[in-house]
Amino acid sequence: MKFIKTHISLIFPLVAILLGLEFFIVFDRTTDSFEKSLQNGYSMMVVSKNEMSIDDFKAWDEHIEQVIELEKNKILERLDMNKDEVKKKKFAASLPNFYSLKLDEYVTVSELEGVKSNLEKSENILSIENFHSSYQSKYELFSFIKLAFQTFIIFMSIIGFFLIVKQMEVWNFLHAQRMKIMEIFGASLFLRSKVLINMAFIDAVISALITSTIFYAIQNIWVRGSQMEILKDNVEAMFSFSDVIILLVASIVVVMIAVYLVVVNVKEE
Amino acid sequence: MSNVIAANNLTLSYDNEDVIIKNANFSIKKGDFVFITGPSGSGKSTLLKSFYGNLSIDDGSLVVGGLDMVNIKKDKLQELRSHLGIVFQDYRLINEWTVEKNVVLPLWISGYSEDVQTTQAERLLHHVKLSGKEKKYPMELSGGEQQRVGVARALAKNPFLILADEPTGNLDEYSSNVIWDLMENACHQLDTTVVVVTHHIPVVFNIPYRHFTIDENGSVYEIH
Repeated sequence: MKFIKTHISLIFPLVAILLGLEFFIVFDRTTDSFEKSLQNGYSMMVVSKNEMSIDDFKAWDEHIEQVIELEKNKILERLDMNKDEVKKKKFAASLPNFYSLKLDEYVTVSELEGVKSNLEKSENILSIENFHSSYQSKYELFSFIKLAFQTFIIFMSIIGFFLIVKQMEVWNFLHAQRMKIMEIFGASLFLRSKVLINMAFIDAVISALITSTIFYAIQNIWVRGSQMEILKDNVEAMFSFSDVIILLVASIVVVMIAVYLVVVNVKEE
Repeated sequence: MSNVIAANNLTLSYDNEDVIIKNANFSIKKGDFVFITGPSGSGKSTLLKSFYGNLSIDDGSLVVGGLDMVNIKKDKLQELRSHLGIVFQDYRLINEWTVEKNVVLPLWISGYSEDVQTTQAERLLHHVKLSGKEKKYPMELSGGEQQRVGVARALAKNPFLILADEPTGNLDEYSSNVIWDLMENACHQLDTTVVVVTHHIPVVFNIPYRHFTIDENGSVYEIH
């Protein structure tokens, strides 16, 4: 019982920290692809007097990445011109140029306004529609979810951190006497901390495996069976083998720092 | 004969404030058995601590086993300590380790093989009359038995110097006699230097010894 308690008291905070880390990694990865899909699905409409190339647009704002010209013929086809070619040509000549612009990243609402006002400086541009309100509602919802999640991750990590500090105090109580005796008999820092290192290392590996298992289960049981498209689209981004390595390394680094701090703070009597 | 310990104007204090030992001059040679006595709080244990580098030296010089204890580096201090046998009044055994593992601690630190450790533990526990208690834990032994484990640990690596801080302070007569016998033998048969801090020199002591005393002012004298 004592053995289990000793291990659980380190494994629990470690798992909390690792869950926070993995949530952060997964969230960063999935929001990245979500941001890309939002970015791809968004375009701004520009009407200009004369034809404009991508370089012309870029000269006004660096965020412009792609320019798609909306063909006048397609607009004319939609209008009933009684198949009068002369009328059609005359009308086509009088029509301005229509462009759909794509941006290089998922910009903030104020940056979007900035792009609009930069383009408005061009005398060639007659009108710009940036679909501000639909963009804003998506952006605000996305930002809110991101902030809520990040707050949760930070909160979890802080709790985990304090539990580890508490565990360090317990270690100090349990191991200080042995380490002091060993120091008197000439044991090196490594030998003195060997017992603690072994224990902490095992707990670090167990914690990384528990966290990996949790995420593997989330990916393969919950997300794959979920009805939410956004989750299904990002199922592969949820968890990968490289995450196990990241968790293992992070876990070992955290416990070794904790062990080192305990060991160097044990002073001889 | 070469000096195992040499102090020259040695001054010791706690936190550079209360001077405990003042300008002490003495030398202890190989094979000497030395008792250090003095009133409570006179600095006997403090002096002993300085011999194994547990206390920084304020002034003067102290050489132990040929090493300058004023400027000793960490690795050298570790090496020196691994060749010392130290016995404490409060035993200082590792409670979560068995008696056998406690006894061979100095051998384990120096990386001796498990076979050597087991053989040596058996031999030492026989010497201290604790055969059969190898797998017990310190808390399962009496005070006298625990101190005998402490002495066995101190002898484990055949140290050139044994430092004992009131080794029989809390013990019954039987355990005290066993411990004095072991120390006498170490000194007489193995030519080990032994320094013992104590309140009382045993009435019956079978080998020649030197007697240092510390007065209330922190001066160290040898009584002839």
